[in-house]
Amino acid sequence: MTASAALRPLSTARVRARLARTPGRLRLTAWVLALATVVFGVTAVTVASSRQTAAESVATRSEPQLLRAEGLYASLSDADATAATTFLTGGIEPSASRRRYLADLKAASRQLAALARHAGNDADSRAAASRIATELPVYAGLVEAARTNNRQGFPIGAAYLRRASNSMRTRMLPAAERLYVAEATRANSDYRDGTANGGLVAAFVTGGIALALLLLAQVGLARFSNRRLNVPLVIASVALAIAIWGVAALVDEQNSLASAQRKGSDSVQLLSASRVLALRAQRDESLALIGRGSDTTSLADFDKVMVALRGRGPGGGVLGEAARVARRSHSVAGVAAARAALARLEDVHRRVAVRERRGDYASARRVYVNDELPQAARLDTRLEAQTRAAQERFAADASDATGALDGAPEALVGFALLIAALAVRGIAVRLREYR
Amino acid sequence: MRRSWLVLGLLMAGLCGCGGTSDDAFNTSLVALRTPAETPASGTSPTEGRCAHPTWSLRPAARADGGFVEAIRRRGRLIAGVDQNTLLLGYANPLHDQRIEGFEIDLLRELSLAIFGGPGHIKFRALTTAQRFSAVQDGTVDIVADAVTINCTRLELVNFSSVYLSAAQRVLVPSSSTARSLRDLAGKRVCATRGSTSIAALERYPKVIPHPVAQRTDCLVALQRGEVDAITSDDAILLGFHAQDPYTKVIGPTIEAEPYGMAMSKHHPDFVRFVNAQLARMRSDGTWRRLHRKWLPGTPRQPPVHYRD
Repeated sequence: MTASAALRPLSTARVRARLARTPGRLRLTAWVLALATVVFGVTAVTVASSRQTAAESVATRSEPQLLRAEGLYASLSDADATAATTFLTGGIEPSASRRRYLADLKAASRQLAALARHAGNDADSRAAASRIATELPVYAGLVEAARTNNRQGFPIGAAYLRRASNSMRTRMLPAAERLYVAEATRANSDYRDGTANGGLVAAFVTGGIALALLLLAQVGLARFSNRRLNVPLVIASVALAIAIWGVAALVDEQNSLASAQRKGSDSVQLLSASRVLALRAQRDESLALIGRGSDTTSLADFDKVMVALRGRGPGGGVLGEAARVARRSHSVAGVAAARAALARLEDVHRRVAVRERRGDYASARRVYVNDELPQAARLDTRLEAQTRAAQERFAADASDATGALDGAPEALVGFALLIAALAVRGIAVRLREYR
Repeated sequence: MRRSWLVLGLLMAGLCGCGGTSDDAFNTSLVALRTPAETPASGTSPTEGRCAHPTWSLRPAARADGGFVEAIRRRGRLIAGVDQNTLLLGYANPLHDQRIEGFEIDLLRELSLAIFGGPGHIKFRALTTAQRFSAVQDGTVDIVADAVTINCTRLELVNFSSVYLSAAQRVLVPSSSTARSLRDLAGKRVCATRGSTSIAALERYPKVIPHPVAQRTDCLVALQRGEVDAITSDDAILLGFHAQDPYTKVIGPTIEAEPYGMAMSKHHPDFVRFVNAQLARMRSDGTWRRLHRKWLPGTPRQPPVHYRD
């Protein structure tokens, strides 16, 4: 009854008159305190639940999907490079590269199925996934036809391989890229929702205003009455302080999520992009050597890919950016090793290119197979290991982020209601003294 | 009050303690992945030129002191433009460590023997059908022996040797086909190589749907995959296809005579005379007949040879 007495509606006409008297002032104070607390409560709960949704979405949907899309892109690129390289080595193919090609196909099918299962109803992603799903068996058939003809010494084998690589290059890899871009964009927007500052600042500001008003009300009451301490208002202040502290958990979540992105996801994106590019360069060079000078586009593509990888100066390109990002997680050494491997690869490549320009294709092929391919394999291993490490960093930080928010919105609702009730109750106690 | 300042301080530290943003990483990786692919330029088929006797070449000169032959000898290698996918004429044999082999290759080895005293002083450079003339013109290769049909249009671009093989444009179909010539293939898709004389000849059969491809063997892939109903090309090439796929047959009369010559630069007529002298020697000492028997089916019939000077 006391609370409702304190909150008896005020008509604007009589406000001025009532404010002149103490009970009117007290009622207004109760109104203002309740309102400030509710505003804080609503702001805090909104921001907490939207962040919880975003953090969960990052950890359970968008980032795993992004990793699958990256995996698919890398598997297809690796299959493409391996098929071309295996063909180039000719004769009886090394069983290791055959196994690698088959493992790539298997991994690609697995990732594709998982991607499609979680694709939701994004029409573009579904179309891209189904394009790869329909092309993949055709591609595998073309590669097998190339092998079979090659084993009989028929030149049509090379034509089948060209056809296979062409379908990979012009249809499947672009679809894989579309999938990857869609997932990366989605993950990025989830990260942005999960780490946006506006809501958090609003929650802190409204919380701060509510706390300030609460403290001012206590000071005023203490001055007007003989009692120094208003117990409900003191409890309300402490509760509000705790609630604001609870909002700080959101900062913690934000830090974990930001760290998941900055130390994990960013690295994953840059390193897997590097890996896809390195594999593309290897395929280009294999095709150029298979072409024996008739294929000038592959060599030009190789040069372009190298520039994208390492830039034109030190610290450039996607690997340079990866090294900068790696500084955040103190994993520079791994990226530096990958860059060193790339530099050695390019040294060998120059030896191959000199022989190719001279038209000495047999010797170019020998240097490529014996010296450059092992170097390319080392680079790929390094990039893959770094990508996996970045994925693990992401997983650890992302689970911190979702953990930080467990039960936060519910607790904030309870606290806001409790504080409002206590504030009104504290004023009502004083108001009764005027009856 | 102080506590909330502390929290605010913490918040600001969390928000601002960073260098580059994650959007940089996102954009860098996407831009790098979108490095556009190189697209090959497509060849154009020139319009037919006019001349009286395109196959008449320059009279042989056995001795080639000085001049271009000497330059090649000093360089130590003859650079030859070939195709590495044409079974029987010139192809990289995977069973022989990708060595290039075939009738045309053996003719080139004879040239190497004449210039250097050994057959191995050759760099084989693979060319697509559309690249063959520009490679001669810009000096990328000394000579092209790649099933090049001599005609008036091409004679404006390069010099030709005397005819070393009389090929004929014909048609290859699956062995189950009922077609007996190109006339029976109205409304059907027929494959031919871009920039070849065969695809130009298809223009005289407007009911046939042409299916141009970049390289010769692409046609056999298209036929095996059921994308085309027939292939038209020179019989020497089609016989190579048949050797790789016995479920095919060559049908119909000769659509067009395809006299093959080796293409050389117009700047080196002395080299043309040298090559013609070697071809004349191969015809007279039995080398030509022996190589023909080694690679090609059917009885060797030497092409008629004329000189224009």
